[in-house]
Amino acid sequence: MAFFEAIQLTKQFGGLTAVNQIDFAIERGMIASVIGPNGAGKTTFFNMITGVYTPTKGQLMFEGRAITGSPPHLLVRLGIARTFQNIRLFSNLTTLENVLVGQHSRLKAGLWGAFLRPGWVKAEEANAKAKALDLLDFVGLGRQKAEDQAMNLSYGDQRRLEIARALASDPKLLLLDEPTAGMNPQETAELTRLIDRLKRDLKLSILLIEHDMKVVMEISDQVSVMEYGIKIAEGSPAQVQANPRVIEAYLGKPDETESSSLSAEA
Amino acid sequence: MLHLSAPAKAGLLLGLIAALTILLFGGWSSVVIGAILGAAAAHVACYWTPDLGSPRRGAQVGQLAGLTLGLVGVVATVIEAQVLLPAAGEEALSWLQTVVFAGCTLIGAYLTGLGMGSLQGLPEHRQRNNKWVLAGFAVLYPLIDYWAGLGWTATVIQILIFAMLALGLNIVVGYAGLLDLGYAAFFAIGAYTTAFFSSPQLGLQWNFWIVIWIAAAVAALAGVTLGSPTLPLRGDYLAIVTLGFGEIVPIVFRNLTSIRLNEPISAFLGGLFNRPEWVICWVGCEEPFNLTGGEAGINPIGRPSLPLIGSFTSSNYLPWYFLILSLVVMALFAIGRLRQSRIGRAWAAMREDELAASTMGINLVQTKLMAFAMGATFSGFAGAFYASYIRAIFPTVFDFSVSVIILCMVILGGLGNMTGVLLGCFIIMGADRLYLPQLAQVLKKVLQTSILPNIPSPAWQEFISTSIDPIQMRLFLFGLTLVIMMLVRPEGLIPSATRRAELHHGDPNGEVPATEETAISSSGSGSH
Repeated sequence: MAFFEAIQLTKQFGGLTAVNQIDFAIERGMIASVIGPNGAGKTTFFNMITGVYTPTKGQLMFEGRAITGSPPHLLVRLGIARTFQNIRLFSNLTTLENVLVGQHSRLKAGLWGAFLRPGWVKAEEANAKAKALDLLDFVGLGRQKAEDQAMNLSYGDQRRLEIARALASDPKLLLLDEPTAGMNPQETAELTRLIDRLKRDLKLSILLIEHDMKVVMEISDQVSVMEYGIKIAEGSPAQVQANPRVIEAYLGKPDETESSSLSAEA
Repeated sequence: MLHLSAPAKAGLLLGLIAALTILLFGGWSSVVIGAILGAAAAHVACYWTPDLGSPRRGAQVGQLAGLTLGLVGVVATVIEAQVLLPAAGEEALSWLQTVVFAGCTLIGAYLTGLGMGSLQGLPEHRQRNNKWVLAGFAVLYPLIDYWAGLGWTATVIQILIFAMLALGLNIVVGYAGLLDLGYAAFFAIGAYTTAFFSSPQLGLQWNFWIVIWIAAAVAALAGVTLGSPTLPLRGDYLAIVTLGFGEIVPIVFRNLTSIRLNEPISAFLGGLFNRPEWVICWVGCEEPFNLTGGEAGINPIGRPSLPLIGSFTSSNYLPWYFLILSLVVMALFAIGRLRQSRIGRAWAAMREDELAASTMGINLVQTKLMAFAMGATFSGFAGAFYASYIRAIFPTVFDFSVSVIILCMVILGGLGNMTGVLLGCFIIMGADRLYLPQLAQVLKKVLQTSILPNIPSPAWQEFISTSIDPIQMRLFLFGLTLVIMMLVRPEGLIPSATRRAELHHGDPNGEVPATEETAISSSGSGSH
């Protein structure tokens, strides 16, 4: 049984089928990338996995458990965390607070714990804070920025903070939605190393949407290609690179290249 | 723009309030107010002064602020004693008395400024010191009131009731970001619950100390009940629905005057076969049952009693004052802890970005309902106290304007910051309950003696005497303040760090280095 599996997953918005009958599976400890042109349905796919959208049809299985239609906060508890394509930090909170919020589902203090603040709550808060600072170090943000407001961080640091916040929930499966978007080559290289460390050091399974082919080909164990909501290819990076349908999806058909690009311009 | 040093600025700013107080009230109360405001001015001045360092430096700043304020006070005292009193048709004070009052005002403001300044200069435990000063002042207030002959305790109790309400609303609006325009509904529910359990209306006379907890619990339940339909709504839509609830609740209480409740199955069958004798009646059988007393309200409501003190009475304000004071301190403490807990972080995250919050493991339904319930709980306490203190409640007390006034306190003081909210409450309620009525009185006297006799036309006399009435202009003044506030300082007087950042993003001029943590701990929550 696969670690994570999508079976005939479909999402329709009115008449538009954004994701069409996708079968998808990854094993534990794998970095799987989903690539495809803009509007191919990749983010919709992510949104279904994390419970933001309910699938129109199909099923989602995580560690042998059906999770179709579960609300986001329960999926986090099960071990699925994500980042967003357009960064969605709690921008007026501090860096530290952002990571602490990420630990929400792993902390237990309720109303009375907050009021009375018994020993175990104090210990829990102290641990959470220590863990958050460690995470800031781990993603390369550094604990000296803990009290900075998230909105004042540089763009690259905001991306890192989003990853730290997602890691704070102790995920088993981490979904990264275009983590290197808008980064310069050096930042991209650093982030690629970070993703690799997530897999090696933290033994995470990672699902990655990415446009930077260099990153994808460098770190992925499995690459899936989507176009118009359909999965058109899947395999190792080398297999996918050689697949004629993929080349077609990205570059157009060889014999029509000229005419189609002309008509697109017109 | 004029560039003044921090102490002078603080002294002048608070000096305006001091001058106003002196002009309106005069006498020993002015001296007391001068001393209190001297300390406040020193506090503000130290707050505005970067790297205070030592008590000596603090004392310098503080005494300067106190002195500035004292001088403003002296001018005001002289004007009051020599100009305003005669103009109001009373005898001017002798110059000796004037000098005594002015001198006392100056010395008082100077000394408290000095004291507060050196306290602020202490390098460590600044927050804790502030807390102790405030606590000491709050505990000694009745004594000060008595010495100075202010006679403000009854009003201060009212102000503290509203402080409680404002703190509760701050949870909903400031922390969780849910705009609630019907907050008075929970105040009403708390008050009516208290009335039901301790008045002849239902024949129940339960002990107040139990009833106040029931009232808080019922209000919390109402918060969850009224909150649940609003769950999918945001922003404007949420505000409109809460506005609706705010209107509905007092009207329901007004109209629950003739209830007859039948057992539903027998009522259905009886209606179906047209056999009224089948219907089993539960409540209000002989004559319709009057639950809430309608417009006439419920009266009298039971009062708390304690060993040694006995039952609280309307003639002795002291027990009431300390009861509401301890309720407010309890609220400050509890809310301060909530804010810094896992739940408080969840509220903040939800306010920032609901989608991101839910994908970080926050249960939005639970978190929103918790905010509504907690906000309602504190207004339930306030309602229980209010009902018992006033002894009678009417539906009109809980109308829309109350919700709006509480919201204004929160916005004026600073959304999401408890110190700010308290300040907003003191300013609005103080102006409304103390300054405006006094202003009205003074103005009336001045008009009668100095202005009206000099106006020849009786029509004009009539017009002026009826139209210049601050009490009638109160909502206008109130609205004007809000408009100015929104234009000049939309984040409130003492904003939370977050809110200021939101409104002044990219503004390098971060003038007041207040953070939510310092604000909370300086307002007495004891959370560090």
